[in-house]
Amino acid sequence: MRRLTLALIAASILLSGVLPAKSQSGGELHFVLRAEPKTFDPMLVDEEASETIRFLTGGVLIRVNRKTQALEPELAASWKVSQRGKKISFHLRDGLSFSDGTPFSAEDVAFTMRKLLDPNLHSPTGDSFRSSEGSVRVAAPSARDVIIEFPAPVAGLERLFDQVAIVSSRSPKKETAVLGPFTVAEYKSGAYVLLKRNPYYWKKDAHGQRLPYLDSIRLDIQQNRDLELLRFKRGEIQLINNLDASYFENLAKEEPAAVHDIGPSLDAEHMWFNQVPAAPIPDFKKKWFRSANFRLAVSEAISREDLCRVVFSGHARPAVGPVSPANLFWFNRSLQPHPHAPQEALRRLQQDGFRFDGHVLRDGEGHAVEFSIVTNAGNKSREQMAAMIQQDLEQIGIRLNIVTLDFPSLIERISRTFDYELCLLGFVNVDLDPNGQMNVWLSSSSNHQWNPEQKSPATPWEAEIDRLMQAQASTPDQNQRKRSFDQVQKIVWDQQPFIYLVNKNALAAISPALANTSPVVLRPQTFWNVESLYYSNQGRGVGQ
Amino acid sequence: MNTIRQIAAVLLGIIFLATLFAGAFAPAPYAKQFRESPNASPSRMHLLGTDELGRDLFSRLLYGSRVSLLLAPAAALLATSIAALVGGLAGYAGGWLERIAMAGTDLSMSLPWLFLLLTVRAVLPLNVPPAASLLITFALLGLFGWAASARVICAGARSLRNSDFVLQAKACGCPSLRVLARHVLPNLRPALFAQLLISIPVFILTEANLGILGLGVSEPLPSWGGLLRGLENWGAVQANPWRLAPLLLLLIVVSCFQLILPREDFAA
Amino acid sequence: MSATPPLLSLRLSADYPNKPNVLRDVSFEMYPGEILGLIGQSGSGKSTLALAILRLLHLRRGGQRGEIWFQGRSLMRLSEREMRALRGRELGLVLQSPLSALNPALRIGTQLEEAWRAHADGSRDAVRSAILETLSSVSLPAEAALLRRYPSQLSVGQAQRVLIAMAILHRPALLIADEPTSALDVITQAEILQLFVRLNREFRIAILYVSHDLLSVASLCHRIAILHDGEIVELDAAEQILRSPQHPYTRRLISSLPSHPIAMREELAVATDQACVPAEPR
Repeated sequence: MRRLTLALIAASILLSGVLPAKSQSGGELHFVLRAEPKTFDPMLVDEEASETIRFLTGGVLIRVNRKTQALEPELAASWKVSQRGKKISFHLRDGLSFSDGTPFSAEDVAFTMRKLLDPNLHSPTGDSFRSSEGSVRVAAPSARDVIIEFPAPVAGLERLFDQVAIVSSRSPKKETAVLGPFTVAEYKSGAYVLLKRNPYYWKKDAHGQRLPYLDSIRLDIQQNRDLELLRFKRGEIQLINNLDASYFENLAKEEPAAVHDIGPSLDAEHMWFNQVPAAPIPDFKKKWFRSANFRLAVSEAISREDLCRVVFSGHARPAVGPVSPANLFWFNRSLQPHPHAPQEALRRLQQDGFRFDGHVLRDGEGHAVEFSIVTNAGNKSREQMAAMIQQDLEQIGIRLNIVTLDFPSLIERISRTFDYELCLLGFVNVDLDPNGQMNVWLSSSSNHQWNPEQKSPATPWEAEIDRLMQAQASTPDQNQRKRSFDQVQKIVWDQQPFIYLVNKNALAAISPALANTSPVVLRPQTFWNVESLYYSNQGRGVGQ
Repeated sequence: MNTIRQIAAVLLGIIFLATLFAGAFAPAPYAKQFRESPNASPSRMHLLGTDELGRDLFSRLLYGSRVSLLLAPAAALLATSIAALVGGLAGYAGGWLERIAMAGTDLSMSLPWLFLLLTVRAVLPLNVPPAASLLITFALLGLFGWAASARVICAGARSLRNSDFVLQAKACGCPSLRVLARHVLPNLRPALFAQLLISIPVFILTEANLGILGLGVSEPLPSWGGLLRGLENWGAVQANPWRLAPLLLLLIVVSCFQLILPREDFAA
Repeated sequence: MSATPPLLSLRLSADYPNKPNVLRDVSFEMYPGEILGLIGQSGSGKSTLALAILRLLHLRRGGQRGEIWFQGRSLMRLSEREMRALRGRELGLVLQSPLSALNPALRIGTQLEEAWRAHADGSRDAVRSAILETLSSVSLPAEAALLRRYPSQLSVGQAQRVLIAMAILHRPALLIADEPTSALDVITQAEILQLFVRLNREFRIAILYVSHDLLSVASLCHRIAILHDGEIVELDAAEQILRSPQHPYTRRLISSLPSHPIAMREELAVATDQACVPAEPR
């Protein structure tokens, strides 16, 4: 097998006509997919494993630079958005070819966009372009120019093209003809996907050498994260994305050079009080939970620093709000995490008529303050956070009962029966743009967790959030949008409908044998610059 | 034999006393989080080190033993009593009574307990104090854990029903229930003891698993089940092998039970 | 016709769920103080008959039909409660294998006490002395040490005697012995046979002696019934059967005997001459 691999690699190098310069070229990168990719069709991608394949093989017009989070021209040499986000025109690079040698032209882009936006295809990627009724007009006035016109402005239009892998209108190989750095060579269901270098990939390095440096990438399909770690330690795989904190610590002891704490990720852990008017909980508790002072007091009674340090072994940061500081453009830098201030919390509670006798906190009517926190069972870090919050709240006389529930029961409670008081969950954020959070903030939305599907906003501040979110969505002016969304973040900080606790750090493992690595918090963390990765000492990774 | 028995009895006595007076022995409250020293190794301050949240493991072990040592045998006793009643009566009576009772145990064993327990959790209020959660947990264990034992007991009772000595006793005119009490049950005693002993550690572990459904002994109250769940984190166990202490204690207690429980020597 | 009314008179059929007609209209009578031998091969239904008389056949999943008259009462019409009052007090049963018929988990004393308390009350000491007395009547040492033993600590012969003691504790009118000697060695067998003869003589207990062994029965019984395939094919005085068997099956049974049972029978007759032999039944 090893000999065969070597022979194949040698053959592909000869065929491509690119000889490795120095010791940089060649070799096989090896890591795992944690699930079976459901499709290799870039338009139908709906889950992470397929997304990984699309990222490694697809060529896109505009790329979000994962490090700077800025847009960069890729297949398009330049582009222009006009008519307040209704129209975009691209000017394409010249002389590019698909991986099978078929030349690339504006026809391919038009073909891709028409197919993608065909409602019958039900493409998840295409859906994000559909903001209103009406047909999209796609035109290719010249071989290097494409113009796309939408019936209504599309929010954050340019960024959406990061997901659109261009397919060939003419190549007989259909979607296996690609413009990205690699192409799918072999796929064995349940076992592995083998990607080979695209010999026609258009990017070159500073010395004029054609990229990528690597010859192939082998992706083993493997769900077991323990095995993944073990294989990394054995040197069989070179990358691990989204490493758990406990694995990180484990690996850090053996190979300190291999682990990378990339800093806070976009994801947050947060909790919220049930503010649904019809919820089957006592009225006096509803009164507590609807008081901003009460929510703020609970927020301030919690030591976020301790949560980060104890539960996440330091691989987390106290969270500020819905936007992580990792989101470079959209994060409201004027805000700080709520400090741990039990005295301040008690002062706020006294304003609301609560009394603390040193042991038990009681409201104005004499009810002892006791409520339950639900979280999903089996998530150890959440269970630990709950236990720490329990002790923190005990300091101000609040009795917290921890209830762990299986996920379906939890969802049933928080979205249908509303039979819960406080819920602790995570907030997964893949989109940098605030439009991705629209469904959370609009009071009419079913994802407006603390009080979903309101006919009209229950509070003035929710009405204000509604207004600001609509405002930011209806203008293409980024700075104007940012001002609106900064205000949303401020309102959430003041009102604490969601009590944000921590942003978990993005953790990754990268074999020190790989050079040019630069892990980032945005997916795909470790291999966003895959075309520039190479082995600093030849040999490692070429078969085992 | 007898010295081993005595040693086992003394050992169990010490463990029971230590857990009963956990408050006197425990160096720290079981829920207190020493947040400056999570995952600490054993030291003079923390004899067994601390857990992920910095809680003193020795104190948690003492209190957790109290919870499990009092309640798991109680639950096992409840389950075995139900099993003896249902299985013994069904196996001894035979006929339609046995068929109904065995259909009942079959049903009970084939029921999707997971989903039933979820329903139970849904019915229970969310604000259950930890102490009440503990009683509910073990009552559930006792009530639901009898079926497998009942089958064993029933099979035993059935073979006893067909035995010559039951026939002989009846031929002597002994009343039916008296035969059950005086002839059948004493012969089931070894099986009952075995079932009792088997179910104690099973219940301790089941309690740990119930925690995943939100039905176990709830935070911050420790139990052996909860402490054993801590062993999932193998890295931490490697770093501090003393974390295996709850497992060791469980083994010791179960073996001691095995050793001291009286056993009729039928074969001289 | 007889001057004495019969102690037991029956006409019985019995079935098992998967085995019909184990007994087909079996009928005979027994008289007070008589020893009746019931001879048949294994599977002929003789144990079934023994259980059916006590109405315990349901414990072996069998069903029985017909009539049983015992001491002038129709047993088939008695309630289970009335039946229970008879078992052990008027009707005794001794099973084939003494070791399985004694409860391995209970001391001998406890088992005898249970059998006693089924029909009588009394202080612990009274019960104890009644038990010890019966033990001595079956030639067992009447000592408390024996009562403290478990069945596994007895020899088979001792166990059989305990079982017999249990069956005659209340001096029943009829003792049914289901192959009581088949598990014993020859010498013990002879001793137990002697015991039955003695019990018959001393306490005037009628004995239905069930066996496959014509030889041992011949030496003991006043009359013999031959059970073949669920039916009684021949019933007569023991000498009559041995001298001039009528039924082909009986003839086959006798021709297979190893020696001259008649001679033995006459020797034993001396020992049993006091037994009450009813005058020429039928």
